[in-house]
Amino acid sequence: MVRAVVLLAPGGPAPCRVLYARSFGTPPGTGTGTGTATAGPRQRLCRKEQLLAVARQVASQCQLLQSSLGRPSSPQLPQLPDEPMSLQDAPGGLFQMPPGDPFPERVTVVWLSVLALTFALVCEPQENLSLAEITLRRLAPRLLLSLRLLGPGADVLLRPDAADGLLDRLLPHGQMLFLNERFLQAVDRELGIKASR
Amino acid sequence: MTTPAPRAAREQPPGRVLVPDLLCDPSRRAEPLCSSRRVPADPARRTGRPWGTAFAAYRGGAGARRARDGHGGPGMFTAAAESFLRQAREIQQEELRRFAARVSALLQGPEPGPEAVDGLQRLHLTVAATKYPRKLDGEFVELLQTVLCSPKSPEQIQVLCAAILREMSPCNDLILSCDEIQDTKLLSLVSSVLLAQGNKGEVAAVGQRVVKALERRLPEGQSARFLLPVLANVLRLSPGSLTEEQIDVVSKKLADWLRYASIQQGMAQPSGGFFSSPRTKQPAPITEVDGAVATDFFTVLSVAQHYTQDQWLNVQTFSMLRNWLLCYGGKELNTLNPGARAGVDGSETPPVCAAGRAGRPLPPRERLRDKAFEYCQRLIEQSSRRPLKKDDGDLQKACLIEAVTIMDIICKQDSFYVCRAVSCLKVLHSRICGDGTYARALLPIAQFFLNHSKLAAVDSDAIYKHLFTDIPAQLFHNPSLAFEFVQFCKDNTQLFTDSSSIFRQSFPNLFKFLAWNSPPLISEFVDLLPFLLDPDTTIEIFHLLLDLPCLTAALDIQLRAAALPASEKAGADPAGKPATCLEAFRHPLYKSLFQYLLRTKAAPEDAPESLVPLRQLLGSLAGSPRVVQCAETVPVLLELFFRVVAEFADGSLINQLVVLLLQRSDQLYEIPAFKEDVYRVLGSQLATLCGLRPALLVELSTEILEFSGAVSNIQSKEAIFTHLAWAVGEFLSVSHDKRCTVEQITRFFEPLEAVLFEITQLRPQASTPSCAPRAISVLMATLTKLAARSQDLIPRVSMFLSKMRTFVQSPAVTSVYSDEDLEEILIRATELMNLLKMPSVAQFVLTPPVASTQFQREVNDSLPLALRMVTQLLEPAPGSMPV
Repeated sequence: MVRAVVLLAPGGPAPCRVLYARSFGTPPGTGTGTGTATAGPRQRLCRKEQLLAVARQVASQCQLLQSSLGRPSSPQLPQLPDEPMSLQDAPGGLFQMPPGDPFPERVTVVWLSVLALTFALVCEPQENLSLAEITLRRLAPRLLLSLRLLGPGADVLLRPDAADGLLDRLLPHGQMLFLNERFLQAVDRELGIKASR
Repeated sequence: MTTPAPRAAREQPPGRVLVPDLLCDPSRRAEPLCSSRRVPADPARRTGRPWGTAFAAYRGGAGARRARDGHGGPGMFTAAAESFLRQAREIQQEELRRFAARVSALLQGPEPGPEAVDGLQRLHLTVAATKYPRKLDGEFVELLQTVLCSPKSPEQIQVLCAAILREMSPCNDLILSCDEIQDTKLLSLVSSVLLAQGNKGEVAAVGQRVVKALERRLPEGQSARFLLPVLANVLRLSPGSLTEEQIDVVSKKLADWLRYASIQQGMAQPSGGFFSSPRTKQPAPITEVDGAVATDFFTVLSVAQHYTQDQWLNVQTFSMLRNWLLCYGGKELNTLNPGARAGVDGSETPPVCAAGRAGRPLPPRERLRDKAFEYCQRLIEQSSRRPLKKDDGDLQKACLIEAVTIMDIICKQDSFYVCRAVSCLKVLHSRICGDGTYARALLPIAQFFLNHSKLAAVDSDAIYKHLFTDIPAQLFHNPSLAFEFVQFCKDNTQLFTDSSSIFRQSFPNLFKFLAWNSPPLISEFVDLLPFLLDPDTTIEIFHLLLDLPCLTAALDIQLRAAALPASEKAGADPAGKPATCLEAFRHPLYKSLFQYLLRTKAAPEDAPESLVPLRQLLGSLAGSPRVVQCAETVPVLLELFFRVVAEFADGSLINQLVVLLLQRSDQLYEIPAFKEDVYRVLGSQLATLCGLRPALLVELSTEILEFSGAVSNIQSKEAIFTHLAWAVGEFLSVSHDKRCTVEQITRFFEPLEAVLFEITQLRPQASTPSCAPRAISVLMATLTKLAARSQDLIPRVSMFLSKMRTFVQSPAVTSVYSDEDLEEILIRATELMNLLKMPSVAQFVLTPPVASTQFQREVNDSLPLALRMVTQLLEPAPGSMPV
């Protein structure tokens, strides 16, 4: 299962920004005491901080990888792709976050960097990471398209419904799915996406 | 950040008059995010929306062109997003309240349309953009829930309401319940809000509702497809939410979905167009990924033009199967029919390979295991087919990993399956072990054999040997494999306790993963390193750590050499000297050195005389970012190395390490920052080792004196020199080691005195670079300590110290050292001189108690206080002390 999805602009010299984040459920009774008036806000704050910690770590891993590949740390302004782009070679990686920092349990983060944006899945530790990578490679171009991420606007911040719609099909409630190409086409038909990859 | 242009009339949507926003703070240049006044009605025409003029200009043709030309793009995108985020965070409570009121009116209008969507989207951003709570009216929150649950609401609006409610969670004003919801899609959406509350009761209620829906026949047009993921999430959040009976009911359903999905293709939704005719022909059978007609039951690797609902459920069932089995797979013995069957729950009963089961119906959970096992076997068979679509090849591999993992789980729960699984996985292993693209699947296979080979009495050493010998050496550059491989090692640390084992022997191979992928793996290696270290591996790992960046460079060459076309692989003239690293890789001069550095398993006896030529050869790669990143991990691991080794090392190992440490300080890969860091760690660890075992000073006196007698070491390796000099002063004492006779002390004293003489009395004349003031200070202190223990030396030291005043005043010195440093040196010299005027006090002050266990003491941290006390006793006049 996936705990959360984070979409961020890793920033380079600027601080990284979380552009979209979605947690799939909150584990009951974590950390904060329930019942008190401040418990709610504290629980929410904790959730936000956890995802922010993931984003920061992803941003730094992303920059380190870019630099080890001999690429500039702040990606050059990309060309808008005229052809469907292949994400097979997009830089990405995996890392683990230890128990207690920032989640009570160990998690594995799988990330993929596309142009100036980075997509990350926060997975349970024993998750099938090959499937997580496949899921991420499928989500990324579809999010790019439906949030118009390569356009100059701020749709990414203003279209949570588009992102949620995608996740409901490809990662419903954080459940990764073994979808073969034909199933994926069926999902795309349902979403009204034409032959995107 | 772009300065937004003032709002221009031409940017407004035609036919729409904008009310100037009175709420807008004039200092805020962009339009407010939540204007309670006017929201443009048509989201498709956002080009003209009255807010965010910062980005409006970049939309449409001009914006796209600019992005394409490289003038816009993410830079601008970030600027726009940045500005929106800031606005969202700055919105005041009152402004928000008014905006919510407006959205509320829209939602309660006759047909909430694009305007309401737009309002909800902005509201979501306002709530989501800050980590601090946003207060929305209780009534409004209630309205969001009503709209969410109303069947009349458009789906987009429902999705947005749910998103806002999730974002605000945990939410005090929640009246939401999924009990009455019949529509499965809506039930899924509402569940997402309830499961976000972090409340055990809510999770259990959702679980109950979903199971109830699954138990009954769903109404026409409703699909369980939307419910299974909810159930999977309930399982993750709170596994105790289902009763035993419910687990059985669901297990039965899952088994059916898994094994008995339709093997005919689904029908296309009739488009109803003019030319579409109702299809009357028979549905086609499903096919395999290679296009062949399927001969067996449906799985996630079955291909069809269209899929039926039960085929969708098949996919979802398999996707959640692993977690379901882990949660509920192996519990029935605790509850139902104790003793119904032997061999359940990993009992020790050996499996009966030949015999099948009696032909009685299995209880639901056993039946699910049975069907799951068959499914996994079929997936393994299907994964051998060549896919028509490339991406299905990736899915095949992921399925293989899942199938093997599930088989492992099933065998842990019921050893009945072990024999079948073993023979299946043996065949699978021999099929894929030669294909690098399947390497990740070898890990769960090895895990399976680690868990079960004892019970099945099969020899699986060849599997482990292949995994640990060939895979890291060939695929160290695959980051995902590297991560999973190291994870596998961490999950199985018990394997590394037997030092003769293939696992323990393979550490040089494991370090290749780290050398190539250091940023994501450093923390994993911090966990793993202690398990690799023992008295037999210590020395080899010490060398490996110091050569880690060099290993990165060698791996780089290895990769490049492998990529060369065969014609160029023949190599250069073996008689001549290779011109490039690549040529050297196969050159007789370097070949064996490369081979040793890139060895696949421990080989302490094969170590070449010296790797110096190789380090020099690879010097050209020292600036490569990957090498530098690797070099940065070394200090962390070195410190850990010494901490762990100190726990088990005996005297001879410590002596060996100290000798090596001094030797290797001359032989490091040429990266200045790396060397500096390594010297720092080695210096402090050297002092620690001397504290652990003061006897080494006498036993290794030749090596130590050779090192500390060389002035060049102060300049090149100040950290090591200073710590060593300090350790001599601190631990060369009869109270630590009976062999520290007056002769021994004099033996150490004289070379150190000569060094200090050289750097303070000779150097000022020569125009040589300065030595660290810390080294001078420590040398003076060490000589004083030794003199205090062998009092014949006191006059020599005192005379020496008295000359320091001339030293600090000489023009050659003042031009090199700072005034503060010189003053400190002089003060220290004066203090030490004063101390030596009272030899018995000096001896007492300068000899630390033997029982001291605080090895990590800072250089001289005990001295200053004592020194100042003595100085005060001797020179009570005010002003003689530095303030």
